[in-house]
Amino acid sequence: MLVSRCFRLCSLFRHAFHHTGVGRGGRRALTAHGSHRHANGAGMLQLRGPALAPRRLSHGGLKDLYDNKTVQRYVRQLMADFEDVSSKLQLAHLSESDRKAFMRKRAELRPLADVMGAVEEAERELEEVLSLTQSSAGTKDEDELLTQLLKEEAEQISSKILSLRKDLIRALVPVDPLDSSNVLLEVVSGRTTGGDICQQFTKEMLDMYQGFALYKNWDFEVLNYTPAEYGGLHHASVRIDGENVYKHLKHEGGTHRVQRIPEVGLSSRMQRIHTGTMTVIVLPQPVEFDVHIDPKDLRIDTFRSRGAGGQSVNTTDSAVRIVHLPTGITAECQRTRSQLQNRDTAMHVLRARLYQSVMGKETEQRHTARKQQVGTRSQSERIRTYNFSQGRVTDHRTGYTTRDIKELMRGGETLDNLISDVLEHAEREAVLEEAESWNCSVKQPESEQSAD
Amino acid sequence: MWRKPLSASYRYFECRNGGPKRFWSCPAVGSCSAPTLPARRITALQAQNLWRRQFEEMGVMEPDQSSGYIIAHLLGAKTIESLEPTRLKEFLSQEETEQLWRLCTKRLNRMPVQYVIEQWDFRDLTLKMRPPVFIPRPETEELVEHVLTYLQKKCGSGVGAAAQPTCLEVGCGSGAVSLSLLKSLPELKAFALDQSRDAVDLTRENALRLGLQNRLQLYNLDIKDAETLLTLCRPSVLVSNPPYLFSEDMAALEPEILSFEDHAALDGGKDGLEVIKQILTLAPQILSDHGRVYLEVEPRHPPLIRQWVEVNVEELQYVETRHDITGRPRFCILQKESRTRLDLD
Repeated sequence: MLVSRCFRLCSLFRHAFHHTGVGRGGRRALTAHGSHRHANGAGMLQLRGPALAPRRLSHGGLKDLYDNKTVQRYVRQLMADFEDVSSKLQLAHLSESDRKAFMRKRAELRPLADVMGAVEEAERELEEVLSLTQSSAGTKDEDELLTQLLKEEAEQISSKILSLRKDLIRALVPVDPLDSSNVLLEVVSGRTTGGDICQQFTKEMLDMYQGFALYKNWDFEVLNYTPAEYGGLHHASVRIDGENVYKHLKHEGGTHRVQRIPEVGLSSRMQRIHTGTMTVIVLPQPVEFDVHIDPKDLRIDTFRSRGAGGQSVNTTDSAVRIVHLPTGITAECQRTRSQLQNRDTAMHVLRARLYQSVMGKETEQRHTARKQQVGTRSQSERIRTYNFSQGRVTDHRTGYTTRDIKELMRGGETLDNLISDVLEHAEREAVLEEAESWNCSVKQPESEQSAD
Repeated sequence: MWRKPLSASYRYFECRNGGPKRFWSCPAVGSCSAPTLPARRITALQAQNLWRRQFEEMGVMEPDQSSGYIIAHLLGAKTIESLEPTRLKEFLSQEETEQLWRLCTKRLNRMPVQYVIEQWDFRDLTLKMRPPVFIPRPETEELVEHVLTYLQKKCGSGVGAAAQPTCLEVGCGSGAVSLSLLKSLPELKAFALDQSRDAVDLTRENALRLGLQNRLQLYNLDIKDAETLLTLCRPSVLVSNPPYLFSEDMAALEPEILSFEDHAALDGGKDGLEVIKQILTLAPQILSDHGRVYLEVEPRHPPLIRQWVEVNVEELQYVETRHDITGRPRFCILQKESRTRLDLD
């Protein structure tokens, strides 16, 4: 009897790890002998970390969205849509356009359905194992061993379920078509009453992003660089090309605050903290711009002599500024000695700014009631504080704090972790938004507040 | 044979001043002497500020750009902005300081920056510059753009008897136009002529530096005597930035131009059309069928050219006038066409 149970265990194990679908984790191979050795850490959520592990204050990441009732309703509805569309496709008489529409819809929902299926399967398995555990809770030694095995298996499946649920939520995240774009990144120093803390910080921020670009294997090209008087940076713009650049950098846009105690001067003796700010602007530069610019809408400012120009003038002033008259958006460049090259660069920047302006309006329109509840962070609100005197960086949107500011400013893995956290937070918000907006559009008799 | 003798090579001379540290005013171009070398070491930034002020005091045009480009060039860069701020705060060596003083003194004497640093950029090329060969103007970058667009369209569509497109430039100067075209169109063959020996030599030098010499044929010829070319090429495009200034406007030119650049590259005669007319007369004989002429001209010229061609050049059709980036009428496009049929691309 014990033997047969063991064999059943084996098949369960094999079964459990067969249907991972799009799931990650839990896939470390377990030998099919039903050995009680389980793959080390496979599928287990790593909750331990290095001593300087960052802290989160508020949110719990994507996985806890699974428990959110609004989200659950949303998922159920999407699954119902999937069933509906699948069954409709079985019908004999379908118009071509209908068939196409249904197939498209089904293809959209399939990833979600697959993960859903995997989750339900795993949950059933867990139930089986748990019930086995109950029945085997005897006093005999051999039963104790079996209980142990079952317990371990239950843990395995549980962690797999958690991972699958995370995938489920991830499948709900609306895709941003701009994610894969390259970007135009601008840094602008804030204003201070005295000293150069802002300008110095701005330079350090640009260096940080350059380090990050290096870490990510992206191209980093300086388009404009305006230094400040005492070694800091007034403003600069750079072009960053590579894979999914916009996806990673889009949440860097905003005001960053610095706090530090200057090393010299009166303030250092009094240990008075100086504060400054700088602004980061991130503009996506998709390969195909669908911004149509009418040349008539542009005013191009260049050096213009009196008289006939042309051969009658010798100038080395090749700066170009372009103004888009309908919107007032401008772009300028004086980076090279060739006026034409400067003009081309300025046009490029102008396109990106126009695109951003157009996209920005669309994004705003898409925002639902939820955003108004939570409160949007306006440009002047700080998104992140860099406290050099205490050696920590805090992102105010997520509460994520890291204590290794030196390492972060190098733009390597530490920054990557912070950015990943912000991304996850944003994805979570996006899922909730989708779920809520669906919720609102389908008038529920009892409107429930999201329970997070 | 030559149209005009070169009106004196640039009048530039330098006289040393061993007197006390005083800045002299410059009564005439070429007579300015340098401020004394600094007693202590200075940084590049300090030197730039010093010379910018000096240029301002002496009425040298574009003092900011001038000092900036010269310093950048000294430090091995093209622009000041591309240099690290820390680099600018480093002290200059004795050698660097002396060299900087030599260069800036030339600028003090109104030598154009492009001649001082002996190079300049044109579109995506860096070209060697040498007096008195004419320095390319920004407007001419646009001329090249128009020709490029036309040639790319023409070649792209596969139309045209010759598999290999050919162009002819009249008055190549430093080679800016022809070399730009060659660089951007790997299939292009270019013929270029200039009545100035210096210009032809400089163009050849630039072609060699850019590795484009194999597709470029150069001729030290005046357009008046260019019938010999008729047997050599049948270009689909004739491009030129000919001397187009009105003679009466020459005197008002700034010293940078008057004292250093070849007047023959600037003076177009009484109405500025002397060379242009010669080009347009030759064009139908040398161009392939439906070939085009692209000219850079003086803003007053387009209607005059249109009228003149109508009366005097049977086979040339005036196609279009285009404006430059400052909004002035600047480019004339004409096409070789028999009068009866208009077959515009």
